Amino acid sequence: MSITTPQRESRPAADRRGGTRRVSAVTRAPWLLLAPFLALFLLTFILPIIVAVISSFTKVTRGGLFGETGVTSKFAGFSNYAQALADGNFVASMGRMLLFGVVQVPVMIVLATILALLLEAASARWPGFFRAAFFLPYGVPGVIATILWSFLYVPGLSPLIDIAGWFGLSPDFLGPSAVLWSIANIVTWSYTGYNMLIIIAQLKAIPTEVYEAAKVDGASPVRVAWTIQLPLIRPALVLTTIFSIIGTLQLFAEPQVLQTVSPAIDSQYTPNLSAYTTAFAYNDYNVAAAQAVLIAVVAFTLSFAFLAFSNRKSS
Amino acid sequence: MPLVTRRQLLHGGLGTAALGLLSACATPGTHSVNTAPTIASTTGEKITIEYWSWLKDLQVVADIWNAANPNVQVKTVWIPSGNQGGYPKLYSALAAGGGPDLAQVEFGVIPSFMMVNGLVDISRYGAAEFAGRYDKNLWNQVSFAGGVYGIPQDSGPMATYYQSELFAKVGATAPATWDEWADVAAELRKAKTYIDCFPLSDAAVFTAFAAQAGASWFRADEDGWVINMSDEATLEVARFFDKAIDKDLVQTGFTPFSPGWFAAAGKGEIATLTSASWADALIAGISGGAGKWQVADMPRWSSGGYGSSYQGGSTVGVMANSKHPREALEFAAWLTSTQEGIDAEIEHCGIGWSPAPEIIGTPRTQPSDFFSGQNYNQDIFAPAALEQNTQWSWWPSQQQSFNILSDGFRQKASGTTLVDAVVAAEEKIMTVFKNSGLSIRKESA
Repeated sequence: MSITTPQRESRPAADRRGGTRRVSAVTRAPWLLLAPFLALFLLTFILPIIVAVISSFTKVTRGGLFGETGVTSKFAGFSNYAQALADGNFVASMGRMLLFGVVQVPVMIVLATILALLLEAASARWPGFFRAAFFLPYGVPGVIATILWSFLYVPGLSPLIDIAGWFGLSPDFLGPSAVLWSIANIVTWSYTGYNMLIIIAQLKAIPTEVYEAAKVDGASPVRVAWTIQLPLIRPALVLTTIFSIIGTLQLFAEPQVLQTVSPAIDSQYTPNLSAYTTAFAYNDYNVAAAQAVLIAVVAFTLSFAFLAFSNRKSS
Repeated sequence: MPLVTRRQLLHGGLGTAALGLLSACATPGTHSVNTAPTIASTTGEKITIEYWSWLKDLQVVADIWNAANPNVQVKTVWIPSGNQGGYPKLYSALAAGGGPDLAQVEFGVIPSFMMVNGLVDISRYGAAEFAGRYDKNLWNQVSFAGGVYGIPQDSGPMATYYQSELFAKVGATAPATWDEWADVAAELRKAKTYIDCFPLSDAAVFTAFAAQAGASWFRADEDGWVINMSDEATLEVARFFDKAIDKDLVQTGFTPFSPGWFAAAGKGEIATLTSASWADALIAGISGGAGKWQVADMPRWSSGGYGSSYQGGSTVGVMANSKHPREALEFAAWLTSTQEGIDAEIEHCGIGWSPAPEIIGTPRTQPSDFFSGQNYNQDIFAPAALEQNTQWSWWPSQQQSFNILSDGFRQKASGTTLVDAVVAAEEKIMTVFKNSGLSIRKESA
């Protein structure tokens, strides 16, 4: 590209018409090639977002007992947002996810990093096998994973609770205080392997010369991990952390499935569950849209805050 | 040079398409079919009616109808039960302007479907001619604001299922009143058995108990809805279960029909279940339960009230986007009020209690081996179906109301009471009504 462009500019201006047509063809080509993607992107991504935002500023009022004497929609300003934020359960679900994220995301990232470093260490045995084994849970859909784990959580079915019983303990995995961490456990089990794989990919990109130099200097494996590998996989760590923050706010399937065995999980346990319930159980699409926009804003804010934080630290 | 270039045309086209899409995305469910002209029934041509329901093997029943009605073929589609996914699916189909001709809708949810203009007022299609076949009380529960919005399909008269061996161990008999029930519960606790669950996460059970005690939470008045959730009957029930939970008489760790409940009931750690007639099929799924269970009348409240209550029960609703409401209505009436339809629904789908008082269904006239040879359907449930609170009527946002109640009940663990939860829920539900643009006031005592 950098070679052909000056050539075209130095072309004599004799065939100006042909020239401009050629230039416009060149500028048009990428758009034409992008068109299928752009059309779908607009239709399935941008447009729904616009509709959601418009919907979040609309309010429906009804006449009569069921709206049988007339239904009107009108612009509502921020009243849907006010209603969403005044809903204690929705705000509580946000708080719950923040608590969940603060604990679960670091635990998972640290775990994924340790696993990745161990598997990439020179002394690792059967790294291929273990890599596949650790990644395997990610292949189990969240719903199935939750059903599997619920058999280990439900009293009367769970061998874990039976074993704990021999020692005089009676853990309640599904009680109001424990169930959040039971979910965190499922999520960690599912996604640690996935994050580990991203980190391994970055570890593999570290040039061997760096390791050789470290070896010559007599660095221990721990020293190599701490001063070479960890600083060099920072981008992968930032990426996996941001994915995990967004993933945390979008938690849905696990609590939804676990609801059937845990009375402690209500219909607004996570922000997404809350928006889903508001839209499809309460039929309040407008407030649900406001909740969805709020979830997106929080996810953006947290992701950017984390990015800004990690950039500042590096500079 | 052409007037409009291809690009401009393309831009214009895209813009119009986008605008069209945007305008099609107005808040769903704000247009009513019940003010539009009625749709005439077809003559001669072959049509297909779709029925979305969570009854299993319903197509087998529909095929009996299909054989006799070559021009009106019924196709059934299975959906997850109610709030478990069936309603969200129906609501989103309605919001998209589609959906089936018929759908299974629980009694309590009819007003919620009416709110999104999801149901056809079948009184405009001659529902009155079928009214006489149905239990009056149930017909009242599908009649709102001068219209009829569903054909009763099944109901759930309640009774108490109990394990007679466990009762014999503590020398108890089936309790006739809730006070006796509490005494039996205390005896059973000494034998490491809970009498029953109290589901903090499912307000439907508490609601059924309150209705039995004589509560009537909502009524439609000319100027809007009137709420009365903190009446004496409801508070009596709340106080009773507050005490039962405080004394550890009931299991709150899991709910009936959850895996934990089946395990506990199989091991004899749960002695009774006060629930609807349809619970019999679920109880029959308890491993090793055959011959251990019996059925007795529901305990009564000392202050009066009724002998039984309803839990669950569903209707067949004609959905807003149906092209053939009259034919759909005829099928629904055949399915739910003829000997042929009811017997087939019992045999293949394990349907709940028949909504037609004249026909309880042939399979239900036989004694049951599982329930210790008891002829419990005729002896217990048939009378229970007549012992119902006639004042009860359902209201819009019932599910949200139930969620608000159960959210309050869940706080029981952290020190609040069911009484507090009920009183607080009443306020919150009024806010929900106002937020959706409906007028509501508190019943003045």
